[in-house]
Amino acid sequence: MNRVITINLNGVAYQLEESGYEALRAYLDHAARSLEGNPDKDEILADIEQAIADKFRALLGTHKTVVITREVSEVIAQMGPVQGDSGAATEAAAGAKPAGGAQAASDAGTSRPGTRRLYKISDGAMLAGVCNGLSAYLNVDVSFIRVGFALLTVVWGMGLLAYILLAFILPEARTSEEKAAASGAAATAEEFIRRAKAGYYEGMKTFHDRQAHREWKRKFRQEMRGWKYGFRRQMQENASQWQQNWGQTGAPHPGGWAGMGFTMMLLRWVKLLCLALAFYAIYSLVTHGGVFGMFLPVDIPVWVGVVAVLIAYQFVTWPIKVLRYSWYYRGGMGWGCGIHSGPLDGLVWLGFLVAMVWVADHYSPAFHAWLQDLPPFIHHTVDQLRAWWARR
Amino acid sequence: MDFKEKFAPITKGLLEFLVLKIIAADKVYVPDILQQLSETEFATQEGTLYPLLSKMRREELVDYEWKESESGPPRKYYELTAKGRAQLRETMEFWQQINETVKKLGKP
Repeated sequence: MNRVITINLNGVAYQLEESGYEALRAYLDHAARSLEGNPDKDEILADIEQAIADKFRALLGTHKTVVITREVSEVIAQMGPVQGDSGAATEAAAGAKPAGGAQAASDAGTSRPGTRRLYKISDGAMLAGVCNGLSAYLNVDVSFIRVGFALLTVVWGMGLLAYILLAFILPEARTSEEKAAASGAAATAEEFIRRAKAGYYEGMKTFHDRQAHREWKRKFRQEMRGWKYGFRRQMQENASQWQQNWGQTGAPHPGGWAGMGFTMMLLRWVKLLCLALAFYAIYSLVTHGGVFGMFLPVDIPVWVGVVAVLIAYQFVTWPIKVLRYSWYYRGGMGWGCGIHSGPLDGLVWLGFLVAMVWVADHYSPAFHAWLQDLPPFIHHTVDQLRAWWARR
Repeated sequence: MDFKEKFAPITKGLLEFLVLKIIAADKVYVPDILQQLSETEFATQEGTLYPLLSKMRREELVDYEWKESESGPPRKYYELTAKGRAQLRETMEFWQQINETVKKLGKP
């Protein structure tokens, strides 16, 4: 069951499904914007509305009174993007300019798909809409991004800081055009079709279902609470263990205290410095597209850069971490038994490895060729092994 | 870049000429024009055609009049002005020249 909105197109009322209405309004908004400065703007818009009304009327009958979203999208697709002819004015002035050139130039300006931009999107947001914006930007389901942030928060404490930082930096997508730019597409009819097909507007609909939304929110909070308690308990256990160890190992060496305290402080400062650098790097990546004068290659999106910085941060601070835990657990437990033991560091290293392979695959043709040859080579080897086994 | 995309400026530039030609033959309203173009390489959409027609009207090449229709609201029927006819003639001549040039060039 969908809500229906009644609209007035050139004096005749039509009933549209809500998401269809959104798409139509965005289309007409965009049309109005691209006709900005055109002396016949109002007339063209009236013509466009009339044409849309004619198409709607053809769809409706005595037993069908509502235009559904799919039909609205189809009609918008038939209409095509409205192309402003700001070229007309310059054409008249330039005189000798070939008519086609100016027209084509102005078309190129308006109909090219927009570049992707990172925005906050508050429709269906839980907090400030950062995850929503990221999800539109990366074209990944928003739940994954949320879980990713939650994990980053619980495991490294970075997620929350990054979130707050992003919430301050990112502009909010207000107009439908900005919302379209957030997922990297111009507000054209094709884009609405694509979204309608991809169920983009379905998500917005479930959001209107208050009951489901509340339920989901409650569950999310519950999980977050669970994580928080788990994390706190772990920290407490660690602290008590640390004190025990300290009691056993630290006490007999009162002379080591000063040296060790100093080293610990130094390590902490180095880590803080790294953290500050990482933040600065992410900030300048997002705002200027580069860090310390190094700029990302054009074909690499910003988010890869951000992830690379995060991984690099983990990579750089990893020895510090290990050193610290080896200090804490000097009393016989050895290396890497801290809260961030084995598996997580393993993940970081795995992530780093994957990133390196990806970069190498992208930028070194030789490596790419080698990677391409790998599966046949493995098949071949397996076949040979099998043959060898059969012969035995 | 595919062939169609490469020649998009040419088809766009020629659109005005073809619209003039269609309107010259008979009084038409926009769905007629779209229908006639739809089977050609110059198939286009309302979003392009309405702004183009309004530009042509501003340049006094075409004009329209309202006509009642039996189904629905009155429609705009377009027709050529004297200036539009003159421009169509000029463009036709220019087009013929271009055609001959294309044929002639590169031949011994």
